[in-house]
Amino acid sequence: MRIGDIACGRAGDKADVLDLTLVAYSDRDYARLEQLVTAEYAARALNRVVPGAVVRYELPALWALKFVAPTALAGGVHASLRAGLHWQKAAIWLLLDLEIGETQR
Amino acid sequence: MTQTFNALISGCSDMARRPSSEMFTIGAGAGFAGDRIEPAVLMAQSGEVDAIALECLAERTLVNALRMRESNSETGHDPRLARRLRPLLPHAARGCRVISNLGAANPAAAGHTTARLARDLGIPSLRIASVIGDDVRDRVDEVKWTQPIDDGTWVGAHVYLGLEPIVSALDEGADVVITGRVADSSLVAAAPVQALGLTGDAVAAALTVGHLLECSGQISGGNLTEPGVPDLSVEELARIGYPVADISQDGSATIRLLDGHPGRLNVAACTLQLLYEVHDPRSYITPDAVLDFTSIRFEQVGHNRVRLSGVQGSPRPDRLKVIGFLARRGQIADIEIAYAGTGALARARLAADVLRLRLQRELGIHDFVIDLVGVNSVLGAGSMPLHCEPPELRVHVSARCEDAEMAQAVEDEIYALTISGPAGGGSVRSERRGRVESLAGFLPRASVSATIEWASAA
Repeated sequence: MRIGDIACGRAGDKADVLDLTLVAYSDRDYARLEQLVTAEYAARALNRVVPGAVVRYELPALWALKFVAPTALAGGVHASLRAGLHWQKAAIWLLLDLEIGETQR
Repeated sequence: MTQTFNALISGCSDMARRPSSEMFTIGAGAGFAGDRIEPAVLMAQSGEVDAIALECLAERTLVNALRMRESNSETGHDPRLARRLRPLLPHAARGCRVISNLGAANPAAAGHTTARLARDLGIPSLRIASVIGDDVRDRVDEVKWTQPIDDGTWVGAHVYLGLEPIVSALDEGADVVITGRVADSSLVAAAPVQALGLTGDAVAAALTVGHLLECSGQISGGNLTEPGVPDLSVEELARIGYPVADISQDGSATIRLLDGHPGRLNVAACTLQLLYEVHDPRSYITPDAVLDFTSIRFEQVGHNRVRLSGVQGSPRPDRLKVIGFLARRGQIADIEIAYAGTGALARARLAADVLRLRLQRELGIHDFVIDLVGVNSVLGAGSMPLHCEPPELRVHVSARCEDAEMAQAVEDEIYALTISGPAGGGSVRSERRGRVESLAGFLPRASVSATIEWASAA
């Protein structure tokens, strides 16, 4: 099962900072994500592509997790060497496509 | 007529305001400079909205506007201003206020352009206010930047103004308010705050609504894919409605789509937008309040209707954020060449390897990436594995070059592959980007003042 099978998500950016949001669809799925997708876990996934540490914020009342990577996008949008501008819109799939094992759903 | 006030002295809670009704409806007619025109027009035609906010300014567009103003001091507002406002001004004349940051790098010029538009439309009495004062280019040495400023040339620097000058202009009877850099949430919140006379947590709620609405269709089904739910249809996405919010005097609000406007406005979409480009959700800093998003509740109260409650705010910060743009030496060359047909993948990979050698060995460039569009040009090493050979694909090269001559040399190497590289290379596409870096900094609120100018068609 992918994270994207139990959550939706969105990526954003401000200058050097990449931010990723996951929103689960039930309290059980939220609990599962909160336990599994730690800041370190997210950092391992993101560090295949962008550098730096990841800070996690938990929003249990909204079933949401927030991941912030303060140094991921050095120099901002204009300094990127990727094709075109704003590749980071797709960066949420670095989390959504992670396999997280079987589920009893 | 010019009216000056100091942002510190005339705090928004001190302003005399006349609550006109119990509820105010604000619509988000645009979420970026190139956004669609039609949704705002449909909103105005519906007669259901008291004001429309048009968010049309980002780092990239502000840099472009500054470049325009450099070459002609009468320009520097959003080049789409006339196309966007022409269909809206007649509605503004009938009471639907329009608030926008279309002023970009030159809100005064934007005001005059808007006044000429109004005159040409036969509504010369339209009251058009420009908010001046976000441009702090001549104060870059006073700004406390968050990183050292070494080399580079300043393109511009702008402080994020809050909702006060907009509220003030509306108090003075403005039908249209044109600004430069104002915090997006404040741009949207200003009209309801003014009309309802909001204070305290109700202002925080209006700012939260502003944050939710500022990206237009991104809360109503855009940029949204949900597990187990089919994506919106072609017809729905093609006509996607933009959101409006009914704000009450206690700050509670309903975010909704107008009847008959397609989209998907649900709790998940609201939650994603609430947290979009937010860092610490306990402390979202705007010029007008610091917002705590952790206590917020969303409730689906109808089809494409979500109720927002529980917003908490703490007092506004003593310093205002500044965004600065620094042009660095050099250019980024971003170029692609395509291969198609049997063996396309092998020929593309061969081309990539040849380019790697040539850039390093012959041009002495080491700061570059080469990848394959359709395979790994977006997510790089995080891309999904390739399971079959694509029928066609593009080799992409981006290189940091010290000057335009070097960027040209890189481009020439890609073009050279069309005749002396692997077979069939073509469909070359090339672009150059200047290296403009965005920097964040702060100025004391007390040192920042805004001015309102009333535009005339003259």
